[in-house]
Order: sequence, then C-alpha cells, then structure tokens
Amino acid sequence: MTRPFALRDLPALLLVLAFVLGSVAPLAWIALGAFKPTAGIIAMPPVWWPDFGYWNNFRDVIVEFWPFILNSLIATLGATALALLLAVPTAFGLVIFQFRGREALADWILSTRMMPPIAAAVPLFIIFRGAGLIDTLPGLVIAYAGFNLPFAIWVSMSFIRRVPKELIEAARLEGCSWFEVLRHVVLPLSRSGLATVATFVFIFAWNEFLLALFLTTREAKTFPVVISSFIGTGRVYWEYITAASVIQCLPPVIFSFFMQKHIVSGLTMGAVKD
Amino acid sequence: MSLSQTSGAPPMPGPRTGRLALRRRDGVQMAAFMVPTCVFLALLTIWPFLYSVYLSLHAVKLTTLQRAVFIGLDNYVALLSDGLFLRAFLNTALLAACAIALEVLVGFCVAKAFVSLAHLRWVGALRSLFLMPMMVTPLIVGMMFAYIFNPVIGIANYLITEAGLPPVPWFGNAGAAMVSILLITVWQWAPFMMLLILAGLLSIRADLYEAAKVDGAKWHQILWMLEIPSLKGIVLLGVILRIIDVLRFFDIIYVTTRGGPGEATMVLTLYAYQQNFQYFQVGKGSAAAVVILGISILVTTFAVRFLREIEHD
Repeated sequence: MTRPFALRDLPALLLVLAFVLGSVAPLAWIALGAFKPTAGIIAMPPVWWPDFGYWNNFRDVIVEFWPFILNSLIATLGATALALLLAVPTAFGLVIFQFRGREALADWILSTRMMPPIAAAVPLFIIFRGAGLIDTLPGLVIAYAGFNLPFAIWVSMSFIRRVPKELIEAARLEGCSWFEVLRHVVLPLSRSGLATVATFVFIFAWNEFLLALFLTTREAKTFPVVISSFIGTGRVYWEYITAASVIQCLPPVIFSFFMQKHIVSGLTMGAVKD
Repeated sequence: MSLSQTSGAPPMPGPRTGRLALRRRDGVQMAAFMVPTCVFLALLTIWPFLYSVYLSLHAVKLTTLQRAVFIGLDNYVALLSDGLFLRAFLNTALLAACAIALEVLVGFCVAKAFVSLAHLRWVGALRSLFLMPMMVTPLIVGMMFAYIFNPVIGIANYLITEAGLPPVPWFGNAGAAMVSILLITVWQWAPFMMLLILAGLLSIRADLYEAAKVDGAKWHQILWMLEIPSLKGIVLLGVILRIIDVLRFFDIIYVTTRGGPGEATMVLTLYAYQQNFQYFQVGKGSAAAVVILGISILVTTFAVRFLREIEHD
C-alpha cells in the first residue's frame, strides 16, 4: 500500500503537521524549561534553546522530593498488582463460568466504572480515618486498585475471551482445577493482553490526583500532590515545576509509545477492538 | 447469587453444548474467584455511595460527624439556591457541550487527514506525536498551561505581542478563563476522539467508497451518507466516556484558576471537593456529589440505550 509522497498529499500533510505541532509544542516548551536555570525559565524575551548540560533542576527535585516520587511508584505498582490479582480471576470467572446473574454481575461491575471518585470521597475518607489508612501507602493502594478494578476486569475479559475454549476443556478433562486452568492455560495465552491492562492501570494510578489529595497529608503524599504545591499564592517554583513535570510525564509517555496498538481498545474498555 | 450448575452436573461436557464441565467442588472455586472482588468493589463504591446519600440528607460537618441531624432534602434545596453551585453546574454543562463538540470536530478533520496519508510509511510516528497529550498527567497539563499562559513570563502572550496583537488575558478575566480551560481540555482530548474516529473510518469497507465514487458522489454526500452513519456508534461511545470524564474534571482547574477569577470557572467536582474538604460541609458536599453521580448514571443509561438502537439498525 505504501507509495511515495505526492504533491496532492500536501494539504493533508500540512494539516497533520500543524496539529502535531500544536500537540507537541506545549510539552516541548516545559521540557526545555527543565534545562534552564530559574532566570532562564522566566526570561523575557524567552531563552529558546537551553544548555542541555544543565541538570540542576532535576537534581534538586530528586534530592528534595525523592520520597514522594517513591511513594507514587510504590502506590502505583501496588495498586496495579492488587487490581490485577483481583481482576484476572474475576474476569476469568465471568467469561468461563455459567451461572445465573452472570450478565447482571458483569453489567454491575462495568457500571461502577461510571462512579465519579468525588461521589465516594467523604465516606472513603471516613472509613480510611477509622481504619488508620489516611496518609498511608496501603490506603492509596486500596483506593487506586478499587477505582481501577472495573476497568481491569472489563478489559481482561476481552482478552480472556480470545483463549480457545477447546484448550480449557482439554485441561479440565485432564483433571485440572479451575485455578490450574487459569494458571497454566489462560495466563500464558493472554499474557500480552494482561500486560496491556497492567500498563493502563499503572498509567491511571500514576496520573491520579484527587484521591491522593484528600487521602494523604504528609508522609504518603504522591508526587502529583507535591507538584501541585509548587504553585500557589506565594512564590511559584518554576524550576521545580518544569523538571518535576518531565519526571512525572516520562512513564506514561514512554508506555504510550509501546502501546500504540492497544490504546483504542484500552481506553474504550475493550468496546472497540484493535 | 445462585449457581445453576454446581450440583449434579455431568462429569463430561456435552461436546456440542459449548459449556464447560463443572464438578462438585467447583462452586467453592467459583466463589473464590469472584467473591473477593465483589466485596471489595461493593465496599469501595456501593457502600460509599449509600453513605453519601445518607450524609446528603443530614445537617453534618466533617469535624462533628456524630451530631448529624436529619433534614430531609434541605441540602438539595440549598444547592439549588446556591449561585456557586448553579454556576458550577452550568460551567460543567458548557464544558461538556463545547469541549466535546470541538474534540469531535478536530478529531474528525485530523483523522481524515491521517487516512489520506495512510500510504506514507512514517505517518505512524506523526500519529504517536499527536497522541501524546492524552497520556500526560492532567495535573501537569494544568501546570504546563499555567506556565505558557502566564501573563508575565508566558510564551503565549510573548508570541502574540511579537506578532503585533494585543496580549490575551488567558486566566485573567471570566470569559477568557473559561475559553482557556476549554482550549486546554480540547488540546488534551481531541487526540482521543481522533483515534476513535480513525478506527471507525478505517473500518468502512473500501468498496463502499469505490461504489460512491462510481456513482459520482460529492465529498459532502460521502460525508453525510456514508461516513457519519458509520461513525455514529463509535463517536457516541467516545462522547459518553468524555462526558463521564468532564463530570470528574478537577485537576487542571485546581492548579490553574481554582474556580476563579471570582467563580467564573467553578465546576461540579471542585465545588463538591471544596464543600467537603475545605468548609467541611459534608452534607451539602455529599448532595453535590450525589447530583454528579446522578447525572453520570442518567447519561450512561440513556447513551447505552441509544448505542444499542444503533447496533440494531
């Protein structure tokens, strides 16, 4: 299908280039700022091209705020693990088992995806306060895993459905328990699909802000909560903001390049096939 | 939940039933697979929702929960007479309508351009770059535009004044602030709509285009008779997902305008957040949260029904 560029492609190409520039330029501008000293970030007229040997902003952010970057990482990885641990067996059950009310259960799980976190905020805060989970990483792991479960279950189901039924039946005839079927047949065959689910849950949890804002106060603050405090009524820490933004955005942006193929089905909860 | 086949199921599957054999202890295994998740989900979503409803019917502060007094629907009545809430409601509706419409428009144009460039090998790289905004942490999007639209050090106004135009008061006055928030939203989410529409356009069979061309159809006829009908379902799906997102819209406003100037960019989630966690008015805040949830449910049910109708056509 590939043919070389022709002149009649020019209008479409110009349109695409304009929008690509619009998408990338703001991101590039804040990334360039990360390599400038404070004076350079706020200079007017702007310093267009920084000295890429200047890493002090990154060093300062990491030295000063590494515990919070670590918090974000632990909460996100923990939530991803917990969400998958709960979602995969449930998705397997919803696809494989025949029981009355299966459709209704699946619909209910999907509908909890529509629950806006703010609608659960105060009760969550109150239970967490009672359970001593406020400002703790386990608290964040539980909350993040919970809000990503419906997504994880629903998309896992779409991957597990692709495992040939004959293989599962064969394993059952060999006398495998359902757990063994899941472990030895379904997991190996849907590994790449489940990796996609894990990546999405990771990104959603990593990007999360509202829950962390009211569930953490000091110790367990996530990186986005710390970043939000760089801007406020007093001095604005541009040198922190620029470098921290780059650090914060690196994981999701890198992941998104690897997941091109699955992005559509991932973001529509499997409603659109890749 | 009752399990229909747990007992007395044959040990061998009927080969043509398409169902898998279940043995006696399977019920236990099935429960082990499903129950923890259901309990967890119920605890994190259903129970909080019921508790929110309970709080919304009481005069109660976060600091003195024990002294909750039942007041019926007074919190909801108070919301309706609160100008700030009405503003938040209108702004959210405005954002949902305008931002999503623009996202569909931009998404469609860019998707069409990508389709017509599909024969170029390196166009995939351009697509990846165009998609970058939707993966960026929303909070960072807010930070980034706070930097770019800054009245003193922002590059946006520098470029505009260099071009000989008057500077734009991005977040400076009520009207402009709302437009800026709208632009930021479209910037982040038009790529998502583009991706959906691209998937939809690529799934239109090539022979339908051929047939249209043979019949001498004009571009607008192809648009109205072929493309829009084929894209209806997928765009609607995107719109539903986006409406649910807009109802949660919070992070970007929180770091750029925080609802201001005045109350110009107040949105529903920020309103509920402030009532609950800044003024500790969890009765009123919960009422607002229940309203948000109610709208989510309404939109979803309505849209899902509509989606099914389209699929039946």
